[in-house]
Amino acid sequence: MAEMWINMGPQHPMTHGLWNLRVKVDGETIVDAEPEVGYLHRGIEKICEDRTYTQIIPITDRLCYGSSLTWSHLYCLTVEDLMGIEVPERAEYIRVAAIEMQRIASHLMWLAAYAADLGAMIGFIYTMRDREIFIDLLQALTGSRLTYNYPRIGGVAHDTPPNFERDSLRACDYMEKKLKEYEDLFDGSKVFMMRNVDVGKLKKEDAMNLGITGPLLRGSGCNYDLRKDMPYSVYPEIDFEAATHPDGDCYARYRIRMDEMYQSCRIIRQAIQKMPKGKWRIVAPRNAPAGTGLGRVEDPRGEGMMYIVGNGTDRPYRVKIRSPIFVSVSAAKHMLLGYKVADVVAIMGSFDMCIGETDR
Amino acid sequence: MAERGKSVLREGMEKAPSSVEDAPEEKIIKALMNDFPTAITDFKKLRAGVVRAKIERRDLLKACKFLRDSLGFEHISMISAVEYDNRFEIVYHISSYAKRMVVELITDTPLDDPTVESVSSVWGGANWHEREAYDLMGIKFNNHPKLERILLPKDYLYHPLRKDFQGGD
Repeated sequence: MAEMWINMGPQHPMTHGLWNLRVKVDGETIVDAEPEVGYLHRGIEKICEDRTYTQIIPITDRLCYGSSLTWSHLYCLTVEDLMGIEVPERAEYIRVAAIEMQRIASHLMWLAAYAADLGAMIGFIYTMRDREIFIDLLQALTGSRLTYNYPRIGGVAHDTPPNFERDSLRACDYMEKKLKEYEDLFDGSKVFMMRNVDVGKLKKEDAMNLGITGPLLRGSGCNYDLRKDMPYSVYPEIDFEAATHPDGDCYARYRIRMDEMYQSCRIIRQAIQKMPKGKWRIVAPRNAPAGTGLGRVEDPRGEGMMYIVGNGTDRPYRVKIRSPIFVSVSAAKHMLLGYKVADVVAIMGSFDMCIGETDR
Repeated sequence: MAERGKSVLREGMEKAPSSVEDAPEEKIIKALMNDFPTAITDFKKLRAGVVRAKIERRDLLKACKFLRDSLGFEHISMISAVEYDNRFEIVYHISSYAKRMVVELITDTPLDDPTVESVSSVWGGANWHEREAYDLMGIKFNNHPKLERILLPKDYLYHPLRKDFQGGD
């Protein structure tokens, strides 16, 4: 049969943002694929060179609307590494609790979009409802719903609000109950399983060579979670497990994210209980010394990384941001080849695409 | 293979070796020094788990192959290009899952000749990182499979992360 190229995007229900997937099909089978990104390039790295270190925090929030807190946290971590600042312990615990709430909110938003992609609209409604609980908690903590501007270089902007501990623990209890419901809902759905199991296989060696990180890598059987393997913040103090799944298909990635939500509840509970009293912020110097700072965190989507070059002034000389999805989407071809056009929605949905951080 | 529906959970990580002689950072530095005595001009342990090494441009590909094949660095995390007054610096962050380490490999190019050898044959993940460095900073990577602009339009005239780019119209 004649082969032809199809553009899926930039405006397509599958894309979740502005990007284009060109697939070459032979009948219904995909024989080649080429993702195109860049529609949302805002030049964030260039903007950062013209702002003071504190002014950059709200810009890094805009990298990803789904998990903005992890990005501003990563930025503050990198600048603290560059300046050589120690953060008060209370601030570290608040940060860990907050980024784990953000992780749950981000995974729930992924699950909502994924369920809607695969025709399970009911999954969309339930998960978006429960995501609000964590968004509300973060709003109580930070003051805004999606772009928080909460971490500061040397701590966090303000202390926890009244009853935050109680509400967080309640939210975790509620979430764990609801996660069981979701498992029944999705694993029990024949359609959901048929569209997921053995679709979009990614071999472990390919995943490692292509630089893929996060749930996609752990879904391929490689046990690599930065929170465990190169621990930052207070993660070494906290007891949790990194989930892996050997199958490497879309179902494995779904499974990983579900398990991560259980683990995030565990982490939040421990962080709230172990949180010491005391200062939550120290005053950071305005200027950073000449040198480099490197920060790595386990973003909900993979390994987020920043490299900042300082030159002694109050503005960074160069900021480089490594986006996990930018790397993962470059490997899309390896997961798509040999599957049908109808599987593209499931495979690309399992990436948890976020174009804001991909294009920067 | 694990039963479907249940993923494998791992217990806490093993303790990293604590004595100075056994520190994995030192081992990496020694191994690199052995094989590239002239190439490595500057090396040090930056922070726990991060090693910085400088390498001559002509030895870059060889050193990357050595890192992958002999030292087990199976993964490239990031390629950053930085423009200084007298040179471009290309920084490769290469990581290893098993060793839990990052090597920060730095190579310099002169301002008037920003070309280096592509490492996308060593790590497939380097492909898009190099295209991005080309797009935004104008670094040319020899033997790259498809060195095209990636974030900006194909007919764009500038490399915006260079310091002489001022934007505007």
